[in-house]
Amino acid sequence: MSLFEGLRFRPGNTFIHRLDPRVKLLVSLALLTTAIIYVDILVVASLLALEAALVFAAKVGRLWSKTLRGSIPLAILVFVITFISQYSREPQLLVAAGYSLAYSLRLIVFLSSFSLFFLTTSPDEIALTLQKLRLPYEYSFAFVSAIRFTPVMAEELKTVMDAQRSRGLELDKGPFTKRLRNLVPVLVPLLVNVIRRSYELAEAMEVKCFGASKKRTSLRVLEIKRNDVIFLVAATGLFILAVSVKVMGLEPVKSIPYLKTLFPS
Amino acid sequence: MSVIEVSGLTFTYAGAKSPAIMDVNLEVSEGEFILIVGPSGGGKSTLCRCLNGLIPHFYEGEYTGSVTVCGLKVADTPTHILSQHIGMVFQNPQNQLFSLSVEADIAFPLENLGLPRQEIRQRVDEVLELLNLQHLKDRSPFELSGGQQQKVAIASVLAMKPKIILLDEPTSFLDPLSALHLFETIDYVRKRLGLTVLMVEHRVDLAAARTTRIVLVSGGRVVYDGGLRNFFSEYEPHAYGVSVPRVVQLSMKVGKLVKNWNTLCLSPEEFEMEVRRRVRRV
Amino acid sequence: MSVEFRNVHYTYMSNVEALRGVDLVFERGEVVALMGENGSGKTTLLKHMNGLLKPKVGKVLVEGVETTSASIAELSQKVGLVFQNAEDMFFESTVYNEVAFALKNFGYEEEKVRKRVEWALRFFELEQYKDQSPFLLSGGEKKRLAMAIIFAWSPSIICLDEPTIGQDSIQKEKMMHMIKMLNMQGRTVVLASHDVEFIADLKPRVVVLSRGKVLADGKSQEILTDGGLLKKASLLPPQLVSILERLGDLGVQRKVLDVDVAAGIIADVLRHELI
Repeated sequence: MSLFEGLRFRPGNTFIHRLDPRVKLLVSLALLTTAIIYVDILVVASLLALEAALVFAAKVGRLWSKTLRGSIPLAILVFVITFISQYSREPQLLVAAGYSLAYSLRLIVFLSSFSLFFLTTSPDEIALTLQKLRLPYEYSFAFVSAIRFTPVMAEELKTVMDAQRSRGLELDKGPFTKRLRNLVPVLVPLLVNVIRRSYELAEAMEVKCFGASKKRTSLRVLEIKRNDVIFLVAATGLFILAVSVKVMGLEPVKSIPYLKTLFPS
Repeated sequence: MSVIEVSGLTFTYAGAKSPAIMDVNLEVSEGEFILIVGPSGGGKSTLCRCLNGLIPHFYEGEYTGSVTVCGLKVADTPTHILSQHIGMVFQNPQNQLFSLSVEADIAFPLENLGLPRQEIRQRVDEVLELLNLQHLKDRSPFELSGGQQQKVAIASVLAMKPKIILLDEPTSFLDPLSALHLFETIDYVRKRLGLTVLMVEHRVDLAAARTTRIVLVSGGRVVYDGGLRNFFSEYEPHAYGVSVPRVVQLSMKVGKLVKNWNTLCLSPEEFEMEVRRRVRRV
Repeated sequence: MSVEFRNVHYTYMSNVEALRGVDLVFERGEVVALMGENGSGKTTLLKHMNGLLKPKVGKVLVEGVETTSASIAELSQKVGLVFQNAEDMFFESTVYNEVAFALKNFGYEEEKVRKRVEWALRFFELEQYKDQSPFLLSGGEKKRLAMAIIFAWSPSIICLDEPTIGQDSIQKEKMMHMIKMLNMQGRTVVLASHDVEFIADLKPRVVVLSRGKVLADGKSQEILTDGGLLKKASLLPPQLVSILERLGDLGVQRKVLDVDVAAGIIADVLRHELI
């Protein structure tokens, strides 16, 4: 679950935070795409370093490292699988280790590529981005509501569990089937609450003119500023470089003699 | 000037066997502060919803009679227009705030109405200042206390600039101190903006001194509509689930023990004044 | 003694220090009101009584047993906790099953379950709803059902968290009556409440909590009439106390919670002055 820590919004006022979310989205996409097209350990390592630099600039290092730590089990799995398959093809220890490392690092880059986006973009901005991407308002509203009420429901869940425990319900004991059945006294009240809440919310929405105008306006708007353009141009430049290197068939890893022996193919 | 006119209103919820309110007649003038009381389930909430259009537009059922608010016939006017004349604040602070920041919640109805950005900005700033919420404007509603949440709910309603506000048991979920603070806020806003206020409340002691009129709704009917002092002296409020403020009880008992005490005091301040008046007379 | 708190400290996961060294003893058969503003630790304290929360420092003993050495289910058999929104814990298809749920969990046999359920429903005047869905009850009936559920297994200690919230005067009167009845049966009743007028009428022992500590502990007449103390705990005094405090300079006796007594005092002052 610490994997998901890297997806929570962390308020801040850094350069990265102030970037337009659409730009951050594109950059994350570029990172992901580069990681997909390359298996080159040099490239992957530099992607990771780049991410780290951005994360450091956004001062969200601690949460990001939680994502990294959370992806370690998966990375180890990938390492082992790759190692076994590579070793069985070419029984050279260092080569197999090298490739496995490349693949597992690549996985880590995958998993954390959007982390930067989510850590520095508030849910409100995400909703605005969705709207800008022409998603109908109802959907971004549903998105924001879900985020808005998640902590409320988490608290309700705790309250219901406490109440049922006080009636002798044991949630942590017994065989699996019994534990599943014991979830009913918890889930039913929760569901009833959700339904009741939606009625109350619907009333409040009606009273606040939801759906009154087809042309809904917005207090906050996303504006591309100078910093956004600079950042985007830099990122695009690097991305084009990365793609062209790949297309030209060059392998950066071969530029370092020692690595060349580790990664023959 | 009459801002609300209710005539012969009877409403039965769809699927219900008997009407929730029957034969209700009510007239509200501009600037009044009315307290609506009565037993739980007696029809108070239904009456409120008939005033702001949730009945019949949101709740279906058999509807007879007429309700006119600010000259508009409620049954024929869409809710988004009505909300700009009569706003409503609900009981549960949590379930009327939608956004992830106070500012966004206040802007929400205005965005829905499609108002231009400048206007939204202006109205939001005005209301933040009026209710002293500027320092909370970026906070998420979940982090706020119940009292603060209700203030935001009121702010969000006031942003639409209605002339009347309806509050359905706004202090139910609040502790006494927060409830008192909310009352003071409502009173302040009412005077500042010249609003007409209708409030459903069980906490009569806090409201008694500030309201001018009390409407008792019980068994779906308006059983009493008039001044508070009269209500407390002529009726049995407890029989209707209405608690009598201690100061009123005290006034009544003192009145029985002392000659020339005929006043029913509605607040500790008033009671003190009455006692000192008589003491100085010596 | 029924319940003992010895130097109890509790901090939530969010790093909020809810209890900061609480020492309390509730004797058998007492009625105690825990008062304090939101966040003072009332609910946290109640949750320690049936083991939902275990102290980080210190001990909580229920009838001599440390809460850390018993499960919540075991402790709940002695301590019934009625939550604030107890109406939000219904899930069964009938009122009967709802009340039977806890009894079955505690291992009662079929026959005993039936007897207890019928007894509890009768006590709270809900027998006619036995086969109905709990969701179709009115607000007041739901609150009574919540109490019937706890009452069914006859715990010797009953805790109520804000029992009068959102209720009209008739419902509050019924609640007062129920609390007194429960106490007459020899049960210890602990209620967390910020309804000063209700507490002033009930006149239990009052424990005032403020920011996780016990600020005061004593008789209602002493505590609810102490304006300074109540202010420190961010509580509003009963209206009667406010009035008498205002007239303090007239030599009016202040430790009064009864309207009749207060009226007599005021009348005396007025008559005396008029002579």
